[in-house]
Amino acid sequence: MRNSGAVLILTFIAKLILQAAGVSPPGKPRLTSCRSPEKETFTCWWEPGGDGGLPTTYALYYHLENSETVYECPDYRTAGENSCYFNKNDTSLWVNYNITVVASNALGKNISDPVEVDVVYIVQPNTPENVKAVVVHDEQGPFVRVSWEKPRTADTRSGWITLIYQIRVKQEKDEKWEEYDAGMQKYYNVFSLHPDKECMVQVRCKPDHGFWSEWTQTTYVKMPNYIPRERSLWILITIFSIFIVLILTWTLNVKRNSMKLCLLPPVPGPKIKGFDKQLLKSGKTEDIFNTLVIQGFPPTTDYENLLVEYLEVYDNEEQELVLEGKELSEDFMKSKSSSDNDSGRGSCDSRTLLLEKCMDGREGSGSDQHQYSQHGETSWASTESSESQGAEPGSPESTDGRAKTWPVVFPQPHHHYPVGAVKPAYHSVPEILNQLSPHATPSNYHQLHHQDIPQQELRFSKSACRHSQSYNQFNLDGIDTPAPGVPPLPSLEYVEVQRVNPENMLLLRPLSDPNREPERSDCTGEDYSKVKVVTSHNILLLQRDTSHQCVDDYSQADQCTTQQPPHPCKPAVHQWNSVMPQEGMRVMGNGYVDSTVLMPSF
Amino acid sequence: LSLWAVAVLLVALLCLDPHSRVSSAPICTHGPSGCHVPSLADLFDRVIQHSARMHSLSNDLHSEFEQYFLPSKNSIGKIYRKCHTSSILTPNGKENAQKLAREELTEVILKLLMAWRDPLFQLHQSMAHQQDFNSFSSNKALEMGDMAHELRKGVEKVAEKMRVLGMLGNSVTGLSAAETMLPISDSGEAMSNYELLYCFRRDSNKVQNYLKILKCRIVPEHDC
Repeated sequence: MRNSGAVLILTFIAKLILQAAGVSPPGKPRLTSCRSPEKETFTCWWEPGGDGGLPTTYALYYHLENSETVYECPDYRTAGENSCYFNKNDTSLWVNYNITVVASNALGKNISDPVEVDVVYIVQPNTPENVKAVVVHDEQGPFVRVSWEKPRTADTRSGWITLIYQIRVKQEKDEKWEEYDAGMQKYYNVFSLHPDKECMVQVRCKPDHGFWSEWTQTTYVKMPNYIPRERSLWILITIFSIFIVLILTWTLNVKRNSMKLCLLPPVPGPKIKGFDKQLLKSGKTEDIFNTLVIQGFPPTTDYENLLVEYLEVYDNEEQELVLEGKELSEDFMKSKSSSDNDSGRGSCDSRTLLLEKCMDGREGSGSDQHQYSQHGETSWASTESSESQGAEPGSPESTDGRAKTWPVVFPQPHHHYPVGAVKPAYHSVPEILNQLSPHATPSNYHQLHHQDIPQQELRFSKSACRHSQSYNQFNLDGIDTPAPGVPPLPSLEYVEVQRVNPENMLLLRPLSDPNREPERSDCTGEDYSKVKVVTSHNILLLQRDTSHQCVDDYSQADQCTTQQPPHPCKPAVHQWNSVMPQEGMRVMGNGYVDSTVLMPSF
Repeated sequence: LSLWAVAVLLVALLCLDPHSRVSSAPICTHGPSGCHVPSLADLFDRVIQHSARMHSLSNDLHSEFEQYFLPSKNSIGKIYRKCHTSSILTPNGKENAQKLAREELTEVILKLLMAWRDPLFQLHQSMAHQQDFNSFSSNKALEMGDMAHELRKGVEKVAEKMRVLGMLGNSVTGLSAAETMLPISDSGEAMSNYELLYCFRRDSNKVQNYLKILKCRIVPEHDC
């Protein structure tokens, strides 16, 4: 007990003394790296941890994976200080080596941490050898061709190792190296080097799985002094551009005048059509201004023709009323323009216009309802009384009290308008006549012979057009007045239909006829009669109120095919009383028919 | 006129004759029939490229594993269990590899590739199921497995070719399908993914090396 305690105290004191003297067991060594240059041998290096003041020895021990046998390093010298070199016999690939280094000195030893190494993954080849750089002169300029050889130790021939190479180039006064990969080949051409400069080249290599080798020693090469080809290109471009400039200048020179014209166009002088400057200079102002006058401006004539104020009625020798219904165009207009003294009438007065408008207006309103044969049958349409009778611009004469007849367009006998082509146009006479003052100025009447009418088409523009103020003035030019007691009328005058006699004659009477009154024996109360219906047999069915006794002056029909009146029509058409009463059609004594009553087919 | 007729006739005959129809000639430098029979050197090159690609994939996967899943280990040394292919005798050095005959070398290659067919499939499966891996790694594993399979086929073709050319004796036996080895370590547990990757990385390197040696021995070039 005493001895052990004494030994311990002595040991402790010895250590203290030793520490004071500066000696200690060695520090822990450390394996720094292991490398294999050719995948056949390898070397491991360590660094000592401190010798502790005493001479220290190092030993490397290893064992293979899955084996407990520990071997010591076979060669401490070949690779230098603090290294261990494993030769081919001791090297096994694809096997882990567990390596440790032990440092030992007089006072103790120290063991490093173990390191596991597989030789296959620690391959770092030697540097390539024999690097050469040569300047090669080419058409496009000189370049440097670098060539080298593989490191001696690497066995690429048998395919054991595959090496890839890399070179780097730096020109004098450059800061950075330019690196190029050369793959497995052992040469490389370096372009884009500046002339007249020194060039430094280095090469290194690497196995396909491993570490890069060190760079070789620098190889120097001097680039020759040459003029780069690019300058000649510039010279060529300059010459070409000069050439082009010359051509342009010459062209401009040649086209001098047209260029001037193009760039500085002359200011155009004044141009007035028809204006002759020479005239101005010569001086006659009349001539000058006459040239300025345009013929035909302002238009004066045409629109008047639209106002068809009257209908030309010709009375031929056979006492036939040839109501020439012409095309509502030139004939009327021409006749009109010369003899029309009814100014002030609106356009609605025109027969043409009326017809047209009525045609248009009637498009949907049942034009088909007017059965309109080409054989001269007429159907007389009457329109609603509800149609506006307000003062329309086209009917300034409504208050005149003049009896108006419906405008009738009688086409030429040889004209047979197809039924569908020209729509029948009707005026409703009574509509117009509604506006008439009850009293009618006496007028002569004229007898219109309707004998031709069956062969013709009678058309009546319908006042459904709403502005069909049918003012018609029969042009009584050339109308013979065979009827007794019919005085010759002036050419243009308003007439009124007194009655329709059995021969399909419209008995007309001029409005200014002073004899009207006495002849109106039968009916005094009414100024006009209303056409109730126009039947298919040229029958104008008139209506009258029951309150009136006007009977005689009514149109008669060959047949009575009335639709509306409930009572059959008597052959003695004079008695139309029974026919009349219904819808308040009024019969004027003077023979006007007021056809405000609807036809039932409407 | 007769000349023209004759010319027309000739042209017609040419057109009608199916054998004389113009067609593009295949580039057939080798072999009597078919087109573009690759040479042995071409086959070897293809196979070696394949093995290089396979090895790089395994390398990538292994580093990913090391980086993300085993950060605690040091970079140089690890302790592993035995690979399941350790029972296959493989040359562990250049001399040993060069001492082997072509047939044996070929056979070793084929054995190795065969031994990894199923384990690679398992590896991919387990990687795909675990959420730790991103799809990228899982795809790599899949590709790796496919490449191993294709490589095996390629090497078999090479062996066939060599046999045809008389370079190989008939001692190369066709590997039986029963040569499946399960990756079971000594302790009986299945190997982990990391261990599988570690082992396969090594084995793919072996295969690549052996193929290169084989090629340079059989088809010597100046710069092999």
